[in-house]
Amino acid sequence: MSKVITLQAFFEEARAGRLTGIRCGRCGELAIPPKEFCPACQERAWEPLPLDGRGTIASFTVIRVPPRGRAAEAPYAVAVVRLDEGVSLLGRIVDIPLDALKVGLPVRFRPLVRDNQTVVGFGPTV
Amino acid sequence: MRAVAIIGAGSTPFGKLEGRGIVELAVSACRDALAESRAPREKIQAFYLGNFVGERLASQGALAGLVANRLGLTGIPATKVEGACASGGIALRHGVLGIALGLYDFVLVAGVEKMTSSPTAEVTAALATAGDEEGEMRTGLTFPGAFAIITREHMARYGTTREQIGLVSVKNHGLGASNPKAQFRKPVTLDEVLSSRLIADPLRLFDCPPISDGAAAVVLCPAEWARDFHPKPVRVLGSGHATGPATLWEMDDITSFPATVRASREAYGMARLSPGDVRVAEVHDCFTMAEIIATEDLGFFPKGKGGPAVEKGETGPDGQVAVNPSGGLIAKGHPVGATGCAQVYELVKQLRGEAANQVRDVEIALAHNLGGTGVVSTVTILGRM
Repeated sequence: MSKVITLQAFFEEARAGRLTGIRCGRCGELAIPPKEFCPACQERAWEPLPLDGRGTIASFTVIRVPPRGRAAEAPYAVAVVRLDEGVSLLGRIVDIPLDALKVGLPVRFRPLVRDNQTVVGFGPTV
Repeated sequence: MRAVAIIGAGSTPFGKLEGRGIVELAVSACRDALAESRAPREKIQAFYLGNFVGERLASQGALAGLVANRLGLTGIPATKVEGACASGGIALRHGVLGIALGLYDFVLVAGVEKMTSSPTAEVTAALATAGDEEGEMRTGLTFPGAFAIITREHMARYGTTREQIGLVSVKNHGLGASNPKAQFRKPVTLDEVLSSRLIADPLRLFDCPPISDGAAAVVLCPAEWARDFHPKPVRVLGSGHATGPATLWEMDDITSFPATVRASREAYGMARLSPGDVRVAEVHDCFTMAEIIATEDLGFFPKGKGGPAVEKGETGPDGQVAVNPSGGLIAKGHPVGATGCAQVYELVKQLRGEAANQVRDVEIALAHNLGGTGVVSTVTILGRM
């Protein structure tokens, strides 16, 4: 249990293609790790919960002026995705043409590894 | 708690200030603020300095002590305060607390940033440290990007139009044109805003503030003595400081910043005032949409009505509440650590009747400073004495 609530464990799992949430053992609140205490009931009783990784785009942008070190990647899209389980997560959009992006578009989690660092990505559902 | 007053205010011009380093900028604003008040320099008992990216962009740490030394204030406690773009507002908050609680009688507060010596990509990366690096920013999100995501949501949820959002930039550039301290001194048209280059869809260049150098400072003392030190002191009626979620995906509603709402409640409560009492406000328009959201979160307009309010001129100098008569961050400039103090500098001028774009009949003024995507906010309410 303690494993999934660390950020390192979250990204290790993500790198293997598994998106992990945490559910409060007391009140059932669902969250994205890491979190110390349940924002709903203040308890610290998290249990890991595998997430399906499917969701829809809630809002997005196309980054055209990137930070240092990312010039070769621009333009690229970043979106807030509402997962089917009800929690939201921000991720980099991959393999979806920028002009096809719209609010409500179904997407699916996929890990993105860059400089040996895992980043949350979202790509097409099929 | 003791009532607190501002007895001196100073500010450098904002812009690309070639040849002037970060320490010199802070010293310059402090010197001006001290010169305005009749309090002798040796009365100053503490110094708080707001600064965000000085270590990264100007390679300078220990900034508060350096500035205090240069001002000849050696010996007093000097503290650098960091809360991203709200660093200046938080520094002011600490100065106010020091006097309100009776710890000090005279406090100098300043904010400073030196940004224009660095390439844009480096500045963008430095500012991105205000986001949650592990939880969000490593996706390649930038600050314009975060506010672009927020902008799209506000448009979808409330029907806010791209034109209404653009009019914030038109208003603020128009005001900046007649503010001698402002970085941009030229009005822009709505067409120019809407055809400027995309930075992060749907935000364009004129929706964003420039990269700026600058500093601002104020001198504080107990209100009961204020008239001995300045003929037109300004009373600090209320002060609020609050935090909120650090990432977009943790926010229940990305079109509102809980930190702003909480800080304003604290400030209104302390001042025993309501949003309708505020005649002029300097709000944190780090992007056009941020001004619209601030006017809603501060209670000037109902949620979702901030866009139409801009269109109807309700936020113009003669509207219901004059918002950002200085030109705001978008036109006056946004040396990030200085902004919170510069907002208060403008409002002190407004309350004294000395502002470049003087609003009529100003009795109550409000400053709103925001850090990150709402991880921290301060609200300060000022009044004439």
